[in-house]
Amino acid sequence: MDDYVVSIFSNIGMISFLALSAYLLLLTGEISFGQQAFFAISAYLSGIATAMWGWPLWSGLLLGALAAATAASVIGFLTLRLRGLYFSIATLAFAEMVRLLFVIFHYQVVIDGEPVGPDGAEGFRDIRWVFENNVSVTEYMVIIYIVLFIVLVLFFLLERSRLGSIFRMLGEDTLLTEMQGLNVIRFKVLASGIAGFIAGIGGGFYAHFATYLEPQIFNVMLGVHGLLYGLIGGLGTALGPLIGVGLDIGLLEAIRAIQGYRMIVFGGLVAVLLIFMPRGILDEERIHWIRLTWRRWRDAAR
Amino acid sequence: MLRVEGLSHHFDGVEALVELNLQVAEGDVVGLIGPNGSGKTTLLNVITGVYKPASGRIRFHDREISGLEPHEIITLGIARTFQNLRIYKRMTVSDNVWVAQHSLPGVSLRELFLARPDKERRHREEIERLLELVGLAERRDTLAQNLTLQDQRRLELARALVRSPELLLLDEPAGGMTPVETEEMAALIRDVALPGRACVIIEHKMDMISALCSRICVLNFGRKIAEGRPDDVLKHPRVLDAYLGHERMVHA
Repeated sequence: MDDYVVSIFSNIGMISFLALSAYLLLLTGEISFGQQAFFAISAYLSGIATAMWGWPLWSGLLLGALAAATAASVIGFLTLRLRGLYFSIATLAFAEMVRLLFVIFHYQVVIDGEPVGPDGAEGFRDIRWVFENNVSVTEYMVIIYIVLFIVLVLFFLLERSRLGSIFRMLGEDTLLTEMQGLNVIRFKVLASGIAGFIAGIGGGFYAHFATYLEPQIFNVMLGVHGLLYGLIGGLGTALGPLIGVGLDIGLLEAIRAIQGYRMIVFGGLVAVLLIFMPRGILDEERIHWIRLTWRRWRDAAR
Repeated sequence: MLRVEGLSHHFDGVEALVELNLQVAEGDVVGLIGPNGSGKTTLLNVITGVYKPASGRIRFHDREISGLEPHEIITLGIARTFQNLRIYKRMTVSDNVWVAQHSLPGVSLRELFLARPDKERRHREEIERLLELVGLAERRDTLAQNLTLQDQRRLELARALVRSPELLLLDEPAGGMTPVETEEMAALIRDVALPGRACVIIEHKMDMISALCSRICVLNFGRKIAEGRPDDVLKHPRVLDAYLGHERMVHA
């Protein structure tokens, strides 16, 4: 694979974490325009951990993701009492606040005579763990996909569990869910925290892939994309958001004829899809149909 | 078991419940009737904590519950259905009952994250047994949104019963049903829902109320205007006046 293809696949992998994060909140019925904030928090913090404190990649990623999860839980606790549009606006405002904080965030140390660390709007350069440890871009891509695979397996386990059904219950009818004896706020905060963690993993990978962070990367458009991937791909399965990412970054990026018009084509695609498939390509009904058909086949084969 | 004392509630100055008293003892089946807007559903909502009452007390087994959150009240052993039918439309019939088990004491916190196969099999058997009883076993894998109204109401009943509540609150369980369906629902409630528990039933269909209930409580404009045995209450002049107008079509 040439480096261009590898970088596209790496991008698909990293953005998938963001899409899965927004997807989890979509399941609970909440539209968050702010998941990029947790992506950003983890990107900066894991970058700081490896580039400035000399931590290994794994612990840097973990620290970043945990910090993102904590921030998401706190924000969730504060905002999830808001409903619908108000929640969406609160997440948007929070994410912009985080981005602007990074614009004024200075924290540098001198390593080998060079200042290293976030330098406000100038960005955060030289997050070089991947190069210093002789990890090739292809190997790094494989690492991303291994972790993505693990997260995906956990997602499938979650979807089969009672906890996973609670998230879907919240998405369908909050009052009815409360009436099943469940503390709605507690589970919403939990969903928010898990979503923050997943976005955080993606952010940590991104920092070490790009080696350079600037606040502008983590603007609202990143969050909107992350959100739309789940809506396009479908809310019936965790594969939905991945299909969304693949369609946008993979397919549209690959068709070079539409390069400059990618956003326009993507926007059109979203509009058309949401009219004809409001809950995405792989929505709950299709997934249910696939499950039943699969079971029928399996039973017939016996 | 349930004692409602001096309960009042209002919406923006409109009195929905006024100084209401109601007692439900073990094994009681109380019919709650009254014209539309008389406060019946509001009463259920206040009992289950959806609304906090403006004044008055609600005790369940000598425990004051009027300040508790809905999920706390439900886990004390109360279950309800809804007048305007609330089901998880995008889930299957059997999952709709399964989700009502999540907060039961028999389901541990660990099981929320990771099922224990042996216990899970028993939980699923219990669901299957209930679906058989309400006549939905054949439809267990259907998405709930594709059920008929009658089946959706049965599903709500099964979902409430899987929690084995001590007190069951049914809000128009035969709402929107044909006379034949109503009779089937009445039989289902009598045979499956009532044994072993107390129940409050809101219903406009008097045949059903008088067939099932040991006592009737009549509300009008948020006040209790009569209470007693079905035969007596339904002949009570104030009830006839308030509820049935002047047509007096009572078949008790």
